[in-house]
Amino acid sequence: MRALVWALLILVLLLIVALPTVLLLGFGMLPAIVALIIDRTEERSATFCVGGLNFCGVFPYLMELWFEDHDLGQAMHILTDVFALAVMYGGACMGWMLYLSLPPVIASFIQVMSERRLQQLRKTQKQILDEWGDEVIHDADLSDDGITPPQEAGQKVPAAA
Amino acid sequence: MAEEPFDADEIDEPAPPRGGSVVLRERFLINGDKPLPGLNSPNAKAYMAEDRHDLSRNLFALVCTPGIPLRTREIKKLQATPGPGVLELVDWETVFWPAIGQHTMIIVYERPMGGRVIDQIRNGQARITEYDIPRKIIQPIVDGLRHVRTLNTAHRALRPENIFFLDEDLQELVIGDFVTAPEGFDQPLMYEPLERALASSPAGRGTGSATDDMYALGASLVVLTLGTNPIERMKGEDLLFRRTNLGSYAAVCGNARIPLSLLEPLRGLMSDSPSERWGLDEITKWLNGLKQTPQQKKPARKGDTPLRFGGREHTNVRTLAHAFNRQIPEAVRALKDETFHAWLKRSAGEGDLSESLKGFVDTANFHKDDYQGTDEYLIARCCAIMDPHGPIRYKGISVYLDGFGPMLAMEIIRNGNVQALTEIINREIYQFWVSDRATFLDTLETAQQFAQLKAWLASKEAGQGLERCLYELNPGLACHSPHILEDGIIFVEDLLPALDRAAGHAEGHSKPIDRHIAAFIAARFNEDIQPHLRALSATKESTSVIGMLSLLAFLQWKLRVEPLYGLTSWIGGLLGPAINAYHSRTTRRDLEKEIPKLVRRGSLPDMFDLIDNAEKRQEDQDGYADAVEEYTVCANEIREIEGNGNEMTENAEKTGQKTAATLSIITTMIAVTIMFFSEIL
Repeated sequence: MRALVWALLILVLLLIVALPTVLLLGFGMLPAIVALIIDRTEERSATFCVGGLNFCGVFPYLMELWFEDHDLGQAMHILTDVFALAVMYGGACMGWMLYLSLPPVIASFIQVMSERRLQQLRKTQKQILDEWGDEVIHDADLSDDGITPPQEAGQKVPAAA
Repeated sequence: MAEEPFDADEIDEPAPPRGGSVVLRERFLINGDKPLPGLNSPNAKAYMAEDRHDLSRNLFALVCTPGIPLRTREIKKLQATPGPGVLELVDWETVFWPAIGQHTMIIVYERPMGGRVIDQIRNGQARITEYDIPRKIIQPIVDGLRHVRTLNTAHRALRPENIFFLDEDLQELVIGDFVTAPEGFDQPLMYEPLERALASSPAGRGTGSATDDMYALGASLVVLTLGTNPIERMKGEDLLFRRTNLGSYAAVCGNARIPLSLLEPLRGLMSDSPSERWGLDEITKWLNGLKQTPQQKKPARKGDTPLRFGGREHTNVRTLAHAFNRQIPEAVRALKDETFHAWLKRSAGEGDLSESLKGFVDTANFHKDDYQGTDEYLIARCCAIMDPHGPIRYKGISVYLDGFGPMLAMEIIRNGNVQALTEIINREIYQFWVSDRATFLDTLETAQQFAQLKAWLASKEAGQGLERCLYELNPGLACHSPHILEDGIIFVEDLLPALDRAAGHAEGHSKPIDRHIAAFIAARFNEDIQPHLRALSATKESTSVIGMLSLLAFLQWKLRVEPLYGLTSWIGGLLGPAINAYHSRTTRRDLEKEIPKLVRRGSLPDMFDLIDNAEKRQEDQDGYADAVEEYTVCANEIREIEGNGNEMTENAEKTGQKTAATLSIITTMIAVTIMFFSEIL
């Protein structure tokens, strides 16, 4: 509740101080706001992904507003410019595309790495079995159960000489 | 039943005389084509021998019968200490004898040129009057027996056929061989003291003592004096029965014309009581002219009326004990019959004995369900008390404790009643006799010895069991392992070379050490080999093989035996399980490559060091433990990678999403920064 009050207070202050900026950001960042609303994950990856590139598209027009005429007319001019909107929403679209296409690629990459690691581990195991015999499997299984592997090679035999 | 001496010719058809000569210790030529039957012993054939270093020496060789235990301790002592009155033992060795196609002990003696005394008397060549007997016959024999006593042993083979004239002039007399068979083994019943003659086999008559030699001297003198054996036709049980009832002197001499001057020594020497029998001191005094009170013959205590048992009329319990052991079911019936007890009390005057026997029957009834209730056990116990100075009687056999070893050996050779002998030990039948044997044996020592035998018999480990008893009790018995049976190995020093030869005809995967060889080594090798034997007996094949190798390697090292190429090769072929005890395949391959090199060196200690190197084994253990650990780590990681498929996909996706977000933020930050600075600059 307190946070909401603070947020409203800041919003009102911003509306008073920088209404054109707030207007540009409000409309320009709509895809990011939508992403924030629909992204229920803890990490908010979609929000960051869409929001980041959306902001990339908004930022040139924001600077235009800040460094030229910081008034509502200018803001409305930008917001009614189809090209500007295409840039802003195109950035958001790029963000969505990135969010949707990159994870499978990364997953595939990780899968390949895991397969490679499995091959390495199996090769190591085969080398162990080749050198030490199949009894290693038995003793390794025992050790998994918390039982110490038997120390083989028979009872102590006296030295001959 | 009591048997006459065991003659090798009676069990085996004599091998066809194939002749052939052998050389003993590269010095004595034994000519197999020139037998000397006149010098044969019952269990050793005599052949001409010559000393290549001194052809003037008159020698002959006795070729022992393989399998019969020899008196090896006496052989060594007699060779080391020749003395008066005894044939000089020149040399001895176990060598291959072509006539029988196997190795056997050959003993070279000084040759008595005058032949057997009894033969010369019978054919009239030697004329010995009753006045010559003390000086010409008794004196040299007594000298010989005295010398034997200085060797801390007894002759136990004194009989007319074993007394020789050393010279061709028939003047010097010596007693012959006594080492080619166990004590008393070659003696006809007549020449054994009554108590020892009661043994069921000549092998079981026991070590005996000088007292027994004195009886044999007396009996021999009767025959030498008369020139004939007065009881030649009387054999076995009849003779024993007669001797027990009448006393040995009366039974042997009977109505024979014994010179009056010899009555005193003969009665003294042939006394059936060992404590009253003349010894060397008494006979020496007599020889020196000191007359002693003649002993009256003391026949066994007789009953007023005889008791019929086993086809004989018994008048004393001693003969009855002997008969009881031969007819056990009838004996048990008699023991439970009041008529027998009435006879014991009234006729034999043995009231106390009757009560004791009834007590034994009651005890047997109480133990109906175990061995103490068996008829055999009951009769053994009864016989012990009925004839306290007789031999151990059990299941028809009778044996002296000090003759147990040779008896066991002969029963094994003949596939006889070994079980009865082992039961005497296991069921502690010997305890019945031990307490009454102070006259003959060191009671405590004997009891300890038999307790040890019982422990060995109970053990199934290699180096123990019946075989251990056999070799411990018979120091002169050759090893009976099938591998080296024909090598006649008596001494442990000869074992490894014999096994080396045996390697040439070893079958398949047969092992060099069997139960006989393990027991033989345990009995004859004076080192602590228990750890080796324990390893040898292990159920795990690899441990057993390493135990075998370690024992043989220890023998080769300790006895400084020359390289053994055959045996090393034989063992090398059996090392598979020992090599496989290593986990590392590389180590195994290396060992397999090394073995042929060691075979070419013939060294068992080197082979043992290779196979059971402690450092190498520790390395293998450690390496194996590391391998198991590494394998486990790999398995766990594989399981982790493979184990949860969906989770991994989800994780990959999340990772992708995070990556996309991060990439997006970074791109934004870079783009914003660039745009900002391009704007303001």
